[in-house]
Amino acid sequence: MAPPAASQRYPSPSQPSGKSEVSDLKTQLRQLAGSRAPGVDDSKRDLYKKVISYMTIGIDVSSVFGEMVMCSATSDIVLKKMCYLYVGNYAKGNPDLSLLTINFLQRDCKDEDPMIRGLALRSLCSLRVPNLVEYLVGPLGSGLKDNNSYVRTIAVTGVLKLYHISPSTCIDADFPPTLKSLMLHDSDAQVVANCLSALQEIWSIEASHSEEACREKESLLSKPVIYYFLNRIKDFNEWAQCLILELAVKYVPSDSNDIFDIMNLLEDRLQHANGAVVLATVKVFLQLTLSMTDVHQQVYERIKSPLLTLVSSGSPEQSYAILSHLHLLVVRAPFIFATDYKHFYCQYNEPSYVKKLKLEMLTAVANESNTYEIVTELCEYAANVDIAIARESIRAVGKIALQQYDVNAIVDRLLQFLEMEKDYVTAETLVLVKDLLRKYPQWSHDCISVVGGISSKNIQEPKGKAALIWMLGEYAQDMSDAPYILENLIENWEEEHSAEVRLHLLTAAMKCFFKRAPETQKALGTALAAGVADFHQDVHDRALFYYRVLQYDVHVAERVVSPPKQAVSVFADTQSSEIKDRIFDEFNSLSVIYQKPSYMFTDKEHRGPFEFSDELGNISITPEASSDIVPAQQYEANDKDLLLGIDEKDDNKGLSSNNGSAYSAPSLENSSNITSQMQELAISGPATSATTPQSSFGFDDLLGLGLSTAPAPTPSPPLLKLNPRAALDPGAFQQKWRQLPLSLTQECSVNPQGIAALTVPQSLIRHMQSHSIHCIASGGQSPNFKFFFFAQKESEPSNYLAECIINTSSAKAQIKVKADEQSTSQAFTTVFETALSKFGMP
Amino acid sequence: MLQCIYLLSDSGEVMLEKQLTGHRVDRSICAWFWDQSLSQGDSFKSLPVIASPTHYLFQIVRDGITFLACSQVEMPPLMAIEFLCRVADVLSDYLGGVNEDLIKDNFIIVYELLDEMIDNGFPLTTEPSILREMIAPPNLVSKMLSVVTGNASNVSDTLPSGAGSCVPWRPTDPKYSSNEVYVDLVEEMDAIVNRDGELVKCEIYGEVQMNSQLTGFPDLTLSFANPSILEDMRFHPCVRFRPWESHQVLSFVPPDGEFKLMSYRVRKLKNTPMYVKPQITSDSGTCRISVLVGIRSDPGKAIESITLSFQLPHSVSSADLSSNHGTVTILSNKTCTWTIGRIPKDKTPCLSGTLALETGLERLHVFPTFKLGFKIMGIALSGLRIEKLDLQTVPPRLYKGFRAQTRAGEFDVRL
Repeated sequence: MAPPAASQRYPSPSQPSGKSEVSDLKTQLRQLAGSRAPGVDDSKRDLYKKVISYMTIGIDVSSVFGEMVMCSATSDIVLKKMCYLYVGNYAKGNPDLSLLTINFLQRDCKDEDPMIRGLALRSLCSLRVPNLVEYLVGPLGSGLKDNNSYVRTIAVTGVLKLYHISPSTCIDADFPPTLKSLMLHDSDAQVVANCLSALQEIWSIEASHSEEACREKESLLSKPVIYYFLNRIKDFNEWAQCLILELAVKYVPSDSNDIFDIMNLLEDRLQHANGAVVLATVKVFLQLTLSMTDVHQQVYERIKSPLLTLVSSGSPEQSYAILSHLHLLVVRAPFIFATDYKHFYCQYNEPSYVKKLKLEMLTAVANESNTYEIVTELCEYAANVDIAIARESIRAVGKIALQQYDVNAIVDRLLQFLEMEKDYVTAETLVLVKDLLRKYPQWSHDCISVVGGISSKNIQEPKGKAALIWMLGEYAQDMSDAPYILENLIENWEEEHSAEVRLHLLTAAMKCFFKRAPETQKALGTALAAGVADFHQDVHDRALFYYRVLQYDVHVAERVVSPPKQAVSVFADTQSSEIKDRIFDEFNSLSVIYQKPSYMFTDKEHRGPFEFSDELGNISITPEASSDIVPAQQYEANDKDLLLGIDEKDDNKGLSSNNGSAYSAPSLENSSNITSQMQELAISGPATSATTPQSSFGFDDLLGLGLSTAPAPTPSPPLLKLNPRAALDPGAFQQKWRQLPLSLTQECSVNPQGIAALTVPQSLIRHMQSHSIHCIASGGQSPNFKFFFFAQKESEPSNYLAECIINTSSAKAQIKVKADEQSTSQAFTTVFETALSKFGMP
Repeated sequence: MLQCIYLLSDSGEVMLEKQLTGHRVDRSICAWFWDQSLSQGDSFKSLPVIASPTHYLFQIVRDGITFLACSQVEMPPLMAIEFLCRVADVLSDYLGGVNEDLIKDNFIIVYELLDEMIDNGFPLTTEPSILREMIAPPNLVSKMLSVVTGNASNVSDTLPSGAGSCVPWRPTDPKYSSNEVYVDLVEEMDAIVNRDGELVKCEIYGEVQMNSQLTGFPDLTLSFANPSILEDMRFHPCVRFRPWESHQVLSFVPPDGEFKLMSYRVRKLKNTPMYVKPQITSDSGTCRISVLVGIRSDPGKAIESITLSFQLPHSVSSADLSSNHGTVTILSNKTCTWTIGRIPKDKTPCLSGTLALETGLERLHVFPTFKLGFKIMGIALSGLRIEKLDLQTVPPRLYKGFRAQTRAGEFDVRL
């Protein structure tokens, strides 16, 4: 997936190859340069147009730079614009020649036409040649004071451009304070908006090394500033409104009146014609009310209608972006959308990416009252021309069935699919029937009679075939010809290309053997022989294991391979709730589109401006926190897993259970795990499988987020146990710190050894980590140190956050604790203090 | 923050490149993107937001032209997509459509427009009326003018002052000798009729489109006879929110020229003006198909431009279709279109014929979905009615015009 090398494939044979034409242009331009003849502008215009069209199709015309600049003395504004465009494109590569342009650009910056002043200033700032920055300061300074708002708008953005070329020049020229005063006093909304955008960017970057910038950045989030913007939000254009709304999301309201004031101010933004404004407003509403459950619910009701309208009114691309967000909301609060399910019906002409999202939403909103209609609708898609969608819709029916609503009718529908005699429909349906039977064994009779009638020859897809074979093995006693079908399949062992199917054949033959030994014995023998000779490692291992365990004792073999099963109550969710929450926090961002939080797909420097400093002041992030962030490339592989996500994993789950281990181990995800699992079983018997190791979610392990899939909690332990591998990212920490109420404040003294050891913050951090309390941020210098810690319960994803300020001269520590579960915060504080008291002890 | 915008032709050629920030994006990204979308089949199927190894890409496709934007930083995806849509709208407004030739002929104008629409990666002015004041569209009139006057510049001499006024959408003080204002209700009916002939979903998406050519600074109020039927509305920024909240009255200072005042949705309609009754029976490798189309409930105005189109399933090898009214065409991609026009008085239009299935297939398993198209002038099917349009100060020689029309949007009849 590496980006291809710069390709020159675009100029087609009909287009000029470049060289000779460019040198022609050069001579012609040179002739015109000094000429003042009438009509010369027209010829210049034609030449310029040619140059730019070459530039556009990718021919390098940088060699005419000098001539272009020489010709630029003109009053024609289109010529000027073309020249600016050209210069902007090539200046960076020709820093020396760029000096030539400075002169005429600076002159244009003083033109009496504001449009030329503006354009020249914009071009001047877009040259981006570091050694020319000294020429920018003057024009920018006068641009900011220009009496025309167009010029001021451009000058403000110019300051930001200057900052990116040379931060020190920008700061030394005192531009940020000028922008701030413009932001608060300028009459033109666009100037104000650009100031806000520029200042946000400049101060966020400066904040990392300047306390003043940090304060300034915080001041943007102060109540007066926020209200200054919100009160006049209607004066701004739609894009600037988005900017302001994004700022408002970060604002921490002082009380509930504050929240309601803001919501009242912004309510009509939900009616805006621009979808981006609507979504940004929705985000403000959702974030503001997170801590107020009732209001939060009402917000959902309020935003529902505007979002649904947006979906049906825009282009497919817009619909997609909105549907992705709606999808997130629907999954969070399905009951609110339960009556609107018809909005998620697919129209024939919609692109399949839209249909796919809609199917997922239909699955999510299904409840007792609408299941019948939804399933009826989904069944119509099964005969759809688009095969991918047909498959998805069958899976959706299955998922709804697994949600336990009106299973009766759904099973009938599924069985009807089998009668359609379409290979992919049959295959998908078999997989679902198998999953259904694992959850609702009581349906076995109805299903078996239909499944028994399916000829395995008609199924080509491995997954479908595997599902059928699993059912043959599992329900061998109910299907009279099961052994013979299996025998048939085993005879064709060589032609079976899928290892998955062969694995299933082995297991099914075993199960069938336990139930109907005389009829199966021969087939099992053939299967084991073929399996042992198989070139696939897993198949070989499994066959060998079966063989040995049979040799050891048939009853043990039966206990291992085919123990009595409990119905599966809930299939494991592919996404932990913490990840879902994280995505929700990143509403109105790419995370929602990709359906995963940003840390999974962006690397650190590309994430939004670092916002952690709001509360923590001037402190650094410890390596512990940042080590959670795995570089993007490393994620790619895992991301693919995630993208395959739901469907694939379901199938694998089905598979893993076939090895006969107890059903309560949905954590076995990979067929490759099976062999190791089997070995474990062989040693300790089936009982151990109930406590299988943690899930194989690649990304969870990678990040140490094991908690969400951790085994069920043991009866509450007397002392609070903390998860040694807890993880929390700074954003989530900050969010929580803001939302949670303060549960405890404690002051305690630190022993002298501890004080002695606390010369640098790192020593305490390491110490606390050995007690499963992790540091997320720390800072300060002797005598005052400040730390932010977090910890998680061992058994469940319940977080504790603590702020700890240690004064070494008074040997006192002040601890503030916030906890997800208020009831256990005392216990945590005890643990924390104990850990702290041991600091410095040998 | 967008870093670069590309316009690609339908063969993947880069027609235009506009770098927006100091972080230049290499053109090779387009080649990567194009390979990617080729591997997806057609561009219609590829997602609007994808991640390349180096950038996030946002794309929209309009009339074969791909508008591609690149970014390396997190940004609201809808904002990028909305902006690209706006660029496409403005371009097609300026050039009278978007296609390869138009863009290549007018690339200077496209550059100029992009220059004003986005600066440093952040959208600036996308309001068409303001842009038009800064950069004149390349229309016939300005071409004529340039020939006559010899002044070929398409840039107006004055800067729009609208950007500074409190109504940014309105240019300062336009003057008309005759004052005209037109209000159009344009509705689209989306419906799904399922296999049993039941109307599963039927709703109307409507827009109030206006064309205002009024002198000075007019203040308008528009009211509906039955605003309560409206489900959800979206307004042009010019609409004041309070009067709507309290009395359901639209009060606004309009932009100059054509614009969309509001859009709305009306849900849960119980009836469609037309019916489609398809039937398919299949037996030993051939299918008989017959489709009847007729008027279910007369809307009171003529239903025009009736069409019925559907995609023949892949398993159909050949089709022989004929109708007793209108014409039937089958394209090579198995899209079948039946152009009916108006429903005749004396008979019910009927399409019938046989479909031959590929050898080995007994019955048809995949069924087509029929898409109905129609247009009704002079009526808004939602039942929405305009009560009156008032001007605070009535200018001399004022003409007010009202029209309505309804057409089929996504009208699916499943078989």
